Order: sequence, then C-alpha cells, then structure tokens
Amino acid sequence: MTDAEVLVVGGGSTGCGIARDLAMRGVDVTLVEKGNLTNGTTGRMHGLLHSGARYAVSDQPSASECIEENRVLRDIASHCVEMTGGQFVQLEGDDDEYFEEKLKGCRECGIPADVLTAEEAREEEPYLSKDVKRSIRVPDGAIDPFRLCVANAASAQEHGARIETHTEVTDVLLDESDDEVRGLEVRHDSGPGKHEHGRAGETEKITAEYVVNATGAWAGQIGEMAGVDVEVRPSKGVMVVMNCRQVDTVINHCRPKGDADIVVPHETTAILGTTDEEVSDPEDYPEEQWEVDMMIDQLSKLVPILQEARTVRSFWGVRPLYEPPGTGTTDPTDITRDYFLLDHEERDGLSSFTSIVGGKFTTYRMMAEEISDHVCEQLGVSAECQTADEPLPGSEDFSVLRDYMDEFGLRSPVGRRSVQRLGSRADDVLKTGEPNPVLCDCEAVTRAEVRDAIDQSGTDLNAVRIRTRASMGNCQGGFCCHRMANELFPEYDESQAYDALDELFEERWKGERHALWGEQLSQAALNYALHATTMNRDRPLKGEDTDFAAFDSGVETEIPEPVADERGERGD
Amino acid sequence: MAIEDDVTVVGGGLAGLTTALSAARAGAQVRLLSHKDSTLRSASGLVDVLGYRPESAAEATAPIVDPFEAISDLPESHPYSKVGESGVRDALALFDEVVGDAYQGSHTDRNALLATHGGEVKPTARYPASAAAGLTSDTREALLVGFETVVDFDAPLVASHLESSGVPFDVRGATVRFPGDFRADAKLTRLADALDSDERVEVREETGSAGYAESLPARQALAEVVKPHLDGAERVGFPALLGQHDPAEVRASLESELGAAVFEVPMGPPSLPGMRLEGKLLGACREAGVRMTTGNPVVGYETAGGTDDDGDRIAAVRVERNGAAIPFHAEQFVLATGGLVGKGIDSNRSGVREPIFDCYVPHPDDRYDWFAAEAFGEHPFARFGVETDDDMRVLDAGGESDFSNLRAAGAVLGGFDFAATKSGAGVSLATGRAAGLAAAREVSE
Amino acid sequence: MSEIEDSNDENTVREEEAVENDEFEPVQVFPESEEMDLRPGSDDCYKCSTCDTNCPVAQVDDEFPGPKFQGPEQWRLKRKEDHDIDDSVMSCSNCMRCDDACPSDVPLSQMHNTARGEYVESQMEKLSQEYIRNRILANYRTMAELGSKVPRLTNFVMGLGVTKLFNEKVLGITSEREFPDFAEETFREWWSDRGGPKVRSEDKRVAYFHGCYSNYNTPKVGKAMVRVFESFGYEVVVPKQRCSGTPMFANGMLEDAKRAAGINVENFSGLIEEGYDVIASCTSCSMSLRQEYPELFSFDGTASVAAHTYEALEYLRLHEDLEAALEAGEVEAGNFAYHAPCHARNQGLAGQPVELFESLDGATAEDVGPSCSGISGTYGWKEEKYDASMQIGAEMFDHMEEAEGEVGMTECPTCAMQMEHGTGYEIRHPLEVLEAALVE
Repeated sequence: MTDAEVLVVGGGSTGCGIARDLAMRGVDVTLVEKGNLTNGTTGRMHGLLHSGARYAVSDQPSASECIEENRVLRDIASHCVEMTGGQFVQLEGDDDEYFEEKLKGCRECGIPADVLTAEEAREEEPYLSKDVKRSIRVPDGAIDPFRLCVANAASAQEHGARIETHTEVTDVLLDESDDEVRGLEVRHDSGPGKHEHGRAGETEKITAEYVVNATGAWAGQIGEMAGVDVEVRPSKGVMVVMNCRQVDTVINHCRPKGDADIVVPHETTAILGTTDEEVSDPEDYPEEQWEVDMMIDQLSKLVPILQEARTVRSFWGVRPLYEPPGTGTTDPTDITRDYFLLDHEERDGLSSFTSIVGGKFTTYRMMAEEISDHVCEQLGVSAECQTADEPLPGSEDFSVLRDYMDEFGLRSPVGRRSVQRLGSRADDVLKTGEPNPVLCDCEAVTRAEVRDAIDQSGTDLNAVRIRTRASMGNCQGGFCCHRMANELFPEYDESQAYDALDELFEERWKGERHALWGEQLSQAALNYALHATTMNRDRPLKGEDTDFAAFDSGVETEIPEPVADERGERGD
Repeated sequence: MAIEDDVTVVGGGLAGLTTALSAARAGAQVRLLSHKDSTLRSASGLVDVLGYRPESAAEATAPIVDPFEAISDLPESHPYSKVGESGVRDALALFDEVVGDAYQGSHTDRNALLATHGGEVKPTARYPASAAAGLTSDTREALLVGFETVVDFDAPLVASHLESSGVPFDVRGATVRFPGDFRADAKLTRLADALDSDERVEVREETGSAGYAESLPARQALAEVVKPHLDGAERVGFPALLGQHDPAEVRASLESELGAAVFEVPMGPPSLPGMRLEGKLLGACREAGVRMTTGNPVVGYETAGGTDDDGDRIAAVRVERNGAAIPFHAEQFVLATGGLVGKGIDSNRSGVREPIFDCYVPHPDDRYDWFAAEAFGEHPFARFGVETDDDMRVLDAGGESDFSNLRAAGAVLGGFDFAATKSGAGVSLATGRAAGLAAAREVSE
Repeated sequence: MSEIEDSNDENTVREEEAVENDEFEPVQVFPESEEMDLRPGSDDCYKCSTCDTNCPVAQVDDEFPGPKFQGPEQWRLKRKEDHDIDDSVMSCSNCMRCDDACPSDVPLSQMHNTARGEYVESQMEKLSQEYIRNRILANYRTMAELGSKVPRLTNFVMGLGVTKLFNEKVLGITSEREFPDFAEETFREWWSDRGGPKVRSEDKRVAYFHGCYSNYNTPKVGKAMVRVFESFGYEVVVPKQRCSGTPMFANGMLEDAKRAAGINVENFSGLIEEGYDVIASCTSCSMSLRQEYPELFSFDGTASVAAHTYEALEYLRLHEDLEAALEAGEVEAGNFAYHAPCHARNQGLAGQPVELFESLDGATAEDVGPSCSGISGTYGWKEEKYDASMQIGAEMFDHMEEAEGEVGMTECPTCAMQMEHGTGYEIRHPLEVLEAALVE
C-alpha cells in the first residue's frame, strides 16, 4: 500500500491542473511544490490568455489548441478571465505581407479575426500611436494565473487531493534495481513566511504508484534525481508592470516574432513583454536594465504614453522550452511552444515516472488532461476527464452586477473588484458581520479577503498576496505590507508575523528596484521613510542590549486624577 | 510693479517654514511660496536630531544616547557639518520656543526612546507632549489600544513585539471598536474631530439578549470601551488620533475618565502630530509677518545678469499658473523644496535633477547603482540632493556657488540618509535656520 | 437648450420660450464621444492621504469617502467596461482643496469632475428631484436672467415662505437660506446705458468676465472693477458671456458647462488675439477659465484663455505699482474679516487683500484662516447638504467673530452669502475698497 496513488511534483498551472484532473477521476493524488503555488513560471508570466493568433503563422497546431482552450477557460474559469479582446497592430512601415499572413493564419486555425482600420483601432484604444496603419482584432484575453492555479488546487483538495506547498523534493525513491520510481523524499520547509505544517522542517518519504514531474523549467533537476536526462532549455523573458492600464485590450505588434511586442491589460495594471533568451539555470540568471528599457522604448512606439507612464516593477520568468534531443535549434525563439509528454519507461526504461515539458499556460488544462489520461491508463483507471466542463471553485454561477454597498457595506469600486476576484465565493468571504476596512488601498483588498487568504495559506504573505493582489498596486506594499502581517496575529505568534512581514517587504522591494526612477523612486523614498523613519523597522532593538535608563526619562509626569466614581470599574 | 520681497523661500515644509521664520524674525520681508501641502503632514511629528550613526559606522544599529555629542563624528557630507553642534542647538531652541508646551524633550540632551506604530523603539530628540507618557524608558505598565478600523496599528501585536524587544515595562494590547456608528473607512481626522468636539456618539450595550442604545460624549464613550481592558495599567496608548485641534484637552478628559496617563503612538500618513506641528509653525510665520503664496509651482527663474564675481544672481523665480509665468522678485532666495518624497528632487530613467534651478545633484550614472539590494540597505537614493558651502549656498559640480543669492535647506540637501540616521527633522530645522539667517543678513547688509 | 442658442439679451421672448420648452429635458453628455480616461492621473498618487485631511466634506459627512478614493483610487480600479461610479461622488462640493493639498500632482478635481459627469450621464435618474434640482442650481444664470427682468417681484416672491416651502419640499433647495436679491439694474444694463468703455487704449486693454453674480446680483462689484481699471488707464470691454460653468461642474452637468464654455472661449479668445487679457472679479469664475476649461474641454483657444485670465487684483499687482497707489490712497473702511475662498487659494491668491491693504490707510484685512466657508457654490443650497455646509462653515464663522473687523470681505459671491448667513455681517468685495481708495 502506497501513501498516494499519484505524486505530482510542481505547483504551477500544469501540476495543479493534473492534480485536479486526477482527483476528479477519483485518483488519490498528492502534489508537492517547493515554494508557494505558482512559484515558478506560472507566477511569472504576463497573464495573456492566448487566442492563438500569436502562433497563427509560425506554429499552427499550437494556435488551434490555444483557441480551443481559450473557449474552455472562459467557461470554467470565468472569475480568472477577463475577455478583453486583443489587436495585432500594424504600424506604418511594418510588413504588409506579414499582416496578411497573420490574418490568413488566424482564419485557417479557426481564430475569429476582423481587420480594423486605423481609426477603428484607435477608437477602441485611444492611447494607440497615431502611426497605426490597421490591426486585426482577435479574442485574446487576460487571465490571472495566480487565481487560476489556486482554484485548481482548491478544486483538487475538494476532491480529496493533498496539496503540500513549501515542500521540496530532496530525492526520488527508486526500487532496488533502479528501474521503477516508488515515490519521493521531501523536506517540509517551515521557516519565516512559510505555510505552517504539522511537520515543521521534517523530511518525509511519500510513496506512490506513479510520479509525475510537472516542474517545467526545473524538470531536469528532478530528472537528475531519478537518473534520467530531461533537457529543458530554460529561456528567460522580462515583464514590466505599469501602474495603471493604458490599454484595455491586449495589444500585440503585428510583425514576425521579436522582443517587446505585447502589452497585456492585467487586473489594474498593464504588463509589457517580453524577451526570449536562453539561460543555463532557471533560478540564477541576470536581470538587466537594458531589458527593462527595451520594453518601454519599443512598446512606446505602439502606445506612446508608456514612455512617460509610471512603472511599478519588473519581473522575469523562465519558459520551460523543450525540444527532442538532436533538433539542435540555436535561437530560443525558434524552439517550439508545443509540449512533450516524456514517459520515462518508454524513453529511459524507468517505469512509473513521466515528465511533462514545454507547452504554454493557455493550454495547461489540455496538457493536464493528456498526462492524466496517460497516468490513468498506467493505473488502470477508466474515469473520464471532466475538467473541460466542471467550473473551477469561484467560477460557478455568479453575477458581478450587485449592490455592493447593501450587500457587503463596501464602496462600489471596492466591492466590484472584490467580487471580480472572488467570483462565486464573494458571499462567503465578504459577509463577515464585522467592520471590513480596506487594507490595500491600491487594489481595494479588504480585511475579510486577506483573512480568507490567510486561512488558505497561513503565514506565507506572498501566497496571500497572489490570492488577493494586496501589495501589488502602485505603493508596492509600502502602505499595506504591515497591515497584512497584522492579520496573522494572534493566530500566529508575534515573531512569525514580523518574519512574514519582512519576507513580503523584501519580495516587493526585489521587483520594485527595476522601476526606480520618477514616480516610483518617489514612492520608494516615501515607503523607506515610512518604514525606516516613522516605524524604525530598519533598526529593530536587540533585546537586552539596550540601556533604557540611559535615555530621556521624561519630565516629571503628572499622575492624572482618576474620576472617583469610575474607579470601581477598573479591572475586569 | 510686480511682486517684490527681501527674501523668497520656495517650499512650505519644516525647512521652508523654519527658513522663513528665521529670516522674518531677523527683520527681512519674507515671502514663502509653496505649491502643495508638504510632507510634514505625512511625517510622524517626532523631531529626530540624530538617532543612529551612518550605516557604515560600527555602532550603526545602536541608538545614540546623546545626539549632540555624536554630531562631530559625522562625515563631512552630512549637512550638520555646515552648521555645527551649536547651529543644531540654536535651531532646537527656536523650535522649542515656537512649539511651547506642545512638545517635550528640551529638558535634556539625551534622546528619548518611543514606541512606533510598527512596534519598534525609536530614538528621537523632541516629541509631542501627547506622546510623552509613552516613553519606553518609563517602567509603568502600559496598555495599548487599537481600533478595528485603524489598520496601521495593531495594538496586541505591537505590545507583544515590544515585550520581545526587551522594553522595561509590562505591556498589553487590546483592539476595540471606536464608539459610534462610524463607517469602516472613516478617516483618522474624522475620528479626531469627534474627540475634539466631544460630539455625542451612539453606544450600544448588550444586556442579556436585548441591546439598548444610548448616546455619550465621544471621549467618555471611548473611555468606557477601554476600561474593561485596563486591568491596572498605569498608562494607555492610542494611535495618534486624539484630537486635531485640542489634543491636550482630549487627553486630559481621557486621563481623568481612565485614571491613567494617556499617550499617542505617532503614526504614518496622514499624521495628526505632523499636521499640528505644521499649524504651530504656520502660526509663528504669520505672526512674524511672513507672506504666503500657495497653490502654484515655482518652475524657473530670472537672473539679473552675471556681473558679480561670485556668480550669477537670481532676480526672480517664476511661478507657473496655467500657462502664464508670474515672477516673484527678491534679493535672496532659499530652496527648501524637499527631497525625492517632496519632489524637490526629480528623476527619470537617465538621471536625477533639481527641477527649478537645475542645481547639481551628484548621483551615479547607472540607475542600478541608485539603490541597495535589500529594502533597508544603504541606499544611494536616500542621499540624493544638492550640495552647499558652509553658508548654505548651493554649489555646482565644480564646488563653486551656482548663484550668489541662492541657498538651500532641508531634505533637498544631499549627502545624508535621513531615514537611516534619523536626522531629517534636525537637518530641516538647523539648515533652515542657518539659511534664513544668512539670507536676512545679506539683505540688511 | 437655451444656452446653445445664440440668443442675445434683447431677444427676451425667444429666450423665455427656449427655457420653457427645453430646459429640463435629459441631456446627452459628450455627443462627440470623447472618451475621457483619467487612469494615467493615478500614476502620481503615492497614497499619502494628504488630500483626505484637507477635504472639508469628508470632515463632516461620514458617508463621503474623501478625494483619494474618489479620484486616483476609483480611477485606477476602473476597467473600460466598468460604469458604476460610486454615488458618493455627488457629495463632493468641488471646492478643489484636494488639488491644492496633493503633494504629488494628482489631477484630483479633474477626476472628480469627470466621474461626476459620468455618474450624472449614466447613473442618475433624469426625472429625479435631485437631478432637476441640481440642473436648476447649476443653471443659475437662466433663473437669474428671468428673475432680473422683474427684480422687485422676484425678490418678493423668493422671500415668501410659501416659495421657500415649495423649493424645499418639491425641489430640495433649503429654506434656511435667503435667496440673493436681484439688482434693479444689471451690470450689463448699466454698462450699456453708460455707453461702454470710457477709456480707450491700444496697449492696456482688458476684457471683463463679470460672471452671473456681479451681473444680476451685485453690479456694484462690476462697476468697481470697471472704474478701478479705468483709473489705471485700461480700456475695459465687456463681451457677451455665459456662466463660467462652476456650478455646472459641481453638479456633473458637463454638457451644460461645455456649451457655456464653448461660447466663453470663443468670445474671449478672439479678444485675446486683439491684445486683451481676461479679468474676473469672482475667483471661481477665474478658476474655471484657468483650470477647469483646459482640464475638461479642448476648444480652440482654451489654452490661450487659461493663460490670459487673471483675477482683478492679481492683474493690477502684476502690471501696476498697486502698492504705491494704495499708499497714496486713503479710505474710511475700517477692519475687514477676510476669508480667502478655496478657489482663490488654488490660484495662489489667498493672501492678496491682506497684503495689499497693509499699505492702505484706513483699511485692514485680517485673514480668518484657511478653512472652507462650506457653501461651495450650490452645495450649501441643497436641502440635504445644508447642515454639513453649516458645520464646515462653523470654523470660519468663529474666526470671523474673533477678528477685529465687523465687516466681512471675500472675492467669492457664494462665500459671501455663507459669511453673511453665518454671522449677519455685511460682506464686501476687495474691489469696492479699491474703488473707494483709488477712484475719485
């Protein structure tokens, strides 16, 4: 008897998708993730829900898959998706032929595509450059990868799955003859800001009948522990986050593939992307100034206001690109975006172990379905996949048209944003019967929403952040990190709350550093003044060392005259 | 023709007000030009003179007991080197006189240690009288009271953190609901006003299953909410919202209701102690005859022609107002427009500048050298600002004065990290006073 | 709409008909569909809340969330398809103090004006009492135009208890306030009887924007303005003009404002090309031409009008040696309790009379502090806002009582109403004192 039927490694979109799929088919599944959910590539993308148009010239099979999954996700993940629509914009001087090819490709792949005149394009998006020649309108959308991943994990849990975050694989357990995978050895991390587990800091051996390696760019590292080669070619891309939405539709530059050609309206922000550069280590690569500058300079040709607009941070993601051995592509932009299911029994003679590599976020569910089919076949499970039809938690029937003030006591924009995030869970979360002040002003996140996220993810405030968007707005946490940490106490003790605060504050700083000029430098200076000068958080006291008596002991203090008849009430 | 004064001060924060006051008291006709409200309203209201040595110093993490003694150890770049210990002392004397009994700390050279709303303990030289009973060197047992909707201050967590920091007193925290039917997003200033005017608020008391409502004056109602948590505490701390206009009276009422000393814990923006301090300084300036013109930005200047040996002279600054530029003439000018936060220093992707006079602001060329890797690291950006000579005249890249009649004061000055050293208010006061006096002196000459 | 007709003052029949037929039909705001997107304005906000601490409405109205929420936060949270503006925007009095407060250049009042316009357009019931009442208040000029035809009758009727009761119960206009009396002769009638300018000049020429109040209610201010400027040798012209738009902005009636602004910009920008500068005696009118027009409209000439508009005293100060002239003058005016209107504050004019009268024998102006008078144009006329308006004004009333003078002074006609209403003082305009001091 094993601890679980299937062990999934990796808490990104693919891993969570697989866990959900298998759990819904009645398989006993455990997922382990070394950080929080979306810690890897999923949490570091621009949030584009592809229509497929991007691949309509270069990679038509991917394009067709994208439009198919695009439609599925609109149904099952409505609270994660904003159907913004998108444009492929041709500027004066851009290649006409490519534009025509793109249009033709879209039509061949079944992607709805209309040509807009320059005027129509600019009417839809007033901040587009006056140099627009024409554009193709396609059903691109925006999707919140955090919310999607969390909803998949939550659904998996509802169906009996065990989800373990902050749980790093330390070894792959093999049988005596090294030809079958029997499970994993993991270490439960419980340091500052981590989810608190029953088994803090322990290692655990989890046995399983089958192990799925869904670690994307990290797949090679897990493969190595099992003694197999998985040659992922990680490729980094930069994303620059603007303070507000300059565009409400996805704006793509219609030209053969190149860097800095997309602006995605994402929640309250716009995200500029991206680059494509191969790196050797998915966790250790340079994050450079020129990459940020290139995004702003190139994309302001499409949307000129970007040149002067406020940037709040930048981040880099690593694509888990893969190509079969011997293909020999040198330019990462030429590597296929298709995914590969590597059955290690077939490939390496190591049974009960499969890796999934390559692919893209939009088709995560399809990949999960295929690998779940494969695993079920191995296990002799005959249940059908239901993930294309069954809405994710939060996306069941709900209406965003409500009277937020009456229902939740919230100002309408605050209520609207909360409901957009929570979907059908809004009632459960927001109806608390207590005062529900806004903790994060920039993103309109209330105390109730933060507490709900803490219920899910414990002291990991970064996990709270991705669930709620608290601290992701223009102040980048300067005004709300401490408010979020306050909510941990007294359920968690004082030192955990302070450690969690420090961790979140540093994480916010890490990305904000790439936007330090103009307004954001002023903001950073204000945040620094608030946390260092006003709160003195840069110089916490070192306990016993301080000789309090050496400092000002105050002037003679008057002892206030107590109100006589009130004295009896003192104490309780 | 036109508007003409002896001394024109640009910027209405702590430094600008101190400059204007000093110059006016020295007999000059002073005009203060300010565009917007200053960051003084966002600051905690504590007057830091020198709390820590610069980060590079060995004892950087230990709070300084005697800031005056430590001034001479500061590096040359710190603005205190222009005014010296005596300049700092004189500026504090001016401050003490202006604020009167609204502030304490002048009875000793030693720093006081106060609890911040973030739960840490901070050294400062002058503190609002409203915060006095909160000194952490005081050994009396304390109760901290927070409010459900005042989300920047979590009293139980702060109390717990203070205890773990080793403060020499017992401290507990309680979170209560502010009495009355205020919305969850009621402003701090609104709650303060309710206490100021002691307006009657609805209080619901649960008695068995049937609750009944009565109305009480706000201060009494607040005391009633706090009493069950008192449990022998000799002092009670609240987030700084105890009255906007009359904090002493609000405090006195609460003290007599509670039978315990009452203090405020200074908060971040919007900061009532900061606003009260601004009020005191504005009052003093008005009394000294300072003319104030607010609401429009100074965007440039006019020179009188560069015939002087000691550089060009500024004849007027230009105030922009919807496309028109209004000149304000004066003999002497003082720049007190603040740092990066107050926007006296501006930046873009390629550089850092002082936007009005384009004064020299030393900074690394590569913007990735403007910051440290850690959030509380030794940030070069915190030191951005203009340089001056010992008479507070602004210097150019070659160390010469840009304009013979332009001085600078306060956070627009570079070379020091006000947050790390906790010396921001002290620098504004000391350099403001020095610049104001120097400008007035030249006028009278 | 009456405002859109190019009706002139003589054509009274036509004007009245137009009012009767069209005045209160629903408006189509932004027929040209100039989508206004102010989200980029949120780029400047760094969340310090200084605006909130300066908002007089937030201080007394617990339902009002304050300018930070109304402005940068609400806009930043907006997606293109989101149309629900929080209804609290209707409680903003448009005093514009938040603009003055923000240390970081957020275009707060512009955001409020735009949000209010959108709210009125898409969310407000056009047959509601509130809409109709706001429309009437916003179009004060229309009412004044009618009332001043028969000033004595109008003054009598407006003073009747039954009229006040009707206004309060049916329209939601407070009965606590006295309607301002209409002058027996409007400023424009006086100007026309006088035969226009008495001084002609090639290089010193100003075009007077008198606004509605000086025309219909206090022509003495307008006359003082003319006489003072003529005494300095200026040619004064008085072009045709509409309401500056101030009450329309405050009530979200952007279409009404746009029509009025279009006419004003056209008439005044033409004169600017001929070398005239624009002078206003009401600080809300000058505020409107200077700031709100360029923020909200883009007619040809809008920027030019903004750049060439001045408040009367400001203009003289900049172009004449006003201090010397006042030093030579003398009045028997005594001490004034001076209140700087919020809109004067925003233009950097707050301390002007105080400074200027320092050099004048026989008059002093004592500043009664930076608080808002609370009336904010039409705000204090609304039945449901009256109490809040008086609460806001309380600080100013106290300071006026404390001040030495027993006569009030301000540049803003509605602030003057509030000062009079709260203290019983007679209220003067600084130009009246200037006239007494400088004009024979």
